[in-house]
Parts: sequence; structure tokens; C-alpha cells
Amino acid sequence: MDQSDNQLIAAALAGSLPAWDALVRRHEMRVYNLGLRLLNNPDDALDLVQDVFLGVYRNLYRFRGESQFSTWLFRIVHNKAVDLIRRRQAGPEIEDWFEEGTPEPANNLPGPLDSYLETEMNQRISQFMSRLPPAQRLIVELKVFQALTFEEIAPLQDIPVNTAKTRFYTALKNLKAMIEAQT
Amino acid sequence: MSCPHTPEIIADHCDADVPAEVLQRHRVHLDTCWDCRQELLSLRGVPGELLRWQSIPLPDWDRSGMVKSTSRRKTLASRSYQWPTIGQWLPLVASLLLAVAVMTQTRLTIGPQGWSVSFGVQSAVLSAQQLDEYLTAHANTSQTETREWVEAALQTHGQTTADSIYQWMTYIEQQRALDVQRMDAGFEQLMNRDFQTVDSVRQLASYVLYQEAP
Ligand SMILES: [Zn+2]
Repeated sequence: MDQSDNQLIAAALAGSLPAWDALVRRHEMRVYNLGLRLLNNPDDALDLVQDVFLGVYRNLYRFRGESQFSTWLFRIVHNKAVDLIRRRQAGPEIEDWFEEGTPEPANNLPGPLDSYLETEMNQRISQFMSRLPPAQRLIVELKVFQALTFEEIAPLQDIPVNTAKTRFYTALKNLKAMIEAQT
Repeated sequence: MSCPHTPEIIADHCDADVPAEVLQRHRVHLDTCWDCRQELLSLRGVPGELLRWQSIPLPDWDRSGMVKSTSRRKTLASRSYQWPTIGQWLPLVASLLLAVAVMTQTRLTIGPQGWSVSFGVQSAVLSAQQLDEYLTAHANTSQTETREWVEAALQTHGQTTADSIYQWMTYIEQQRALDVQRMDAGFEQLMNRDFQTVDSVRQLASYVLYQEAP
């Protein structure tokens, strides 16, 4: 019978390596795929997974079981992802990180094999995501892939709920423009 | 966007937890607003496009590496508990000292003869050496108390395993960390009382942190 997250946490806190391993395996794929979409690079996504679970391990004793483990985990994931995006995105635009705006142009040079790569669904989606300003990228991830409510997203990004909704709307418009440009 | 309601309507359309009465309000608005209807028709398919993402499994990675590198737990052969160093208790001591400093209206004075701390109306002066001695004595007392407590517990439970000792020590460490957090919170409140005191205390805090650095 599968153990609950709380049972695994209790066992991991008591020093059980198999319990810790099971807890990580249960949640790592969600974190990794989030990393792939937000960072558009498998190495960075794996860095994110390692950062996140190191943070989880160090803070596990603080988890009180009042919220779901996945909710608590997600706060760590969000903060680590923001850190990583900031570190990967060197340059002057770091100042207007949370500015609303038009999508960034694609970093990659266009080439004859682009259309081949873009038939790969994930490649296409992470390309779209990577062209969004980071704040919009995060909100799309949280809303569409993680199915958080705007009431949950707003405090994570430290913005009012209405701003979160406007940012999401702007992101969808940008994505729509990219999808149309590709078809 | 020419209608101010569009972002909320689009966002709520993608939110499973929106109350029925809000959705009803949106429906009424959509009946009369061409802009919002157009935007909803145009954008409603975008989340679905994104959700065509195929989840990818991770390459193999060392899940227990962080446990091995972070854990202070000993192997069975070498499970003798090492007593915490002075540095581990210093944050607590520093918090205590800072709280006392605020309560007693402490001032830090830096002059040609070095620096000194005074309490209230210049009635008492604490030198750097005295402060050092105080910190050391306090840290020693904390260590002794903990050691005595664990030893007493060990005598009571003769069959105690190394596992449970480890759990006790973890518990004690967590309690210490909580104490420090509580002190910090209380300290923040006290900080707002008197700017001059705060300034002295900040300098005192820098001194303590400097002492704490390896
Ligand atoms: Zn409208």
C-alpha cells in the first residue's frame, strides 16, 4: 500500500533513506517538467530539481502538515525557479524583470531545421514559454500546468489578484500571437 | 483591449474555482460586450495548446546525495555524539543580549580608548573584554545544561538507542532555532521603540556577528 506524503516525511525525518527516496520520486517529475518549460534546458531543469529537493530536505522539519506537502513544496519550487531564471538571465533586463510587455524575440537564429524541431510538441511549447517575459512565463506555468488559483498565485508573486489576472491575460495574448505566427 | 473587464473574464474562464455567481455576472457582461466575447473566443484555446506537453521522466540522479552530504548523522561504528560548538549557540546568545540591550536602553560609545557599552543613564559600562567573557560564559552554560539534560535522560532510559539520542538532539536543536526565531520577532517589535537605541543595538549586533564569523 502506498504511504502518504506525511508518513514518508515522518519516516524520512527519523532517518529513513528509502522513505526520502520515495518522497522525492513521487514529486520530482512534476518539478523537472516545470523546469524544462521555464528554463528551456534539461541541465538547468535538473539543477532546479536538485536545488528544490536540497531545500526541501533542509527544511523538512519545518513542515507541520497543516497544508498539503505539494503546496508547501510548490512554494520552494517557485522561489528556486525565480532564482534560477534570474541567474540564467544575466544582463540589464534583470531590472525590469516583472515589467509587463511584449514577448522577447527568440534567442536562436532561425535556420532550415527549425520547422523539424518545432514539430516536437514540447520543444515548441518551451520555445513559446521562453519568449515570454519571466513573470508572464511563471504565471502561465502556475495557472495552466500547476492549476493553482489566482488567489494562490498572487501571494507567490507578491502582487494583487487583479494584477495576476491581467498578467495572465497579457501572457495568453502573447502566446496566441506566437501560435498564430507558427501556423 | 478596450473593455476593462476582459482580463478578469479571461482569467476566470481558466480558473476552476471561480464562484458560480461571479461566472453568472461574467455571462451577463458577455451578452452585451462584443470585445470580451471576441477575446474569449480568441484566447480560450491557448491553455489547451500548452497542455499538449508530454511529461518527460528525469535522467538518473543521486537522490540521497543531499542526505549524505547534509546529515550530521553518524554511521553505526562512529555514533558518538559531538557536542555543539560555541558557534551553534551564539545566535541565541546574541538574541538574548540584544533583547537585554534594548530593554536597558543600551548605548554604544566609540572613543579613543576603544569602545564601551553603557546602560540607562551612564550608570554602568561594559568593556569589550567583559562582553567576550559574558558571551563565553553564556554559551558554556547552555552547553552544560543541554549535556546534563541528555545525560539524565540517558540514565533514566538505560536501553536507549543511538537513534533516539539523535532524535533528542535534533529536537533540542529545533527548539533552540525556534527560540531564536521568537527572540527575533520580539526584538523586531522592541526595535521600533527608540531609534537611538536601535542604532546602538545595530552596532552591537555587527560586533556579535563579527565575533561569530570563523
Ligand atoms: Zn467587456
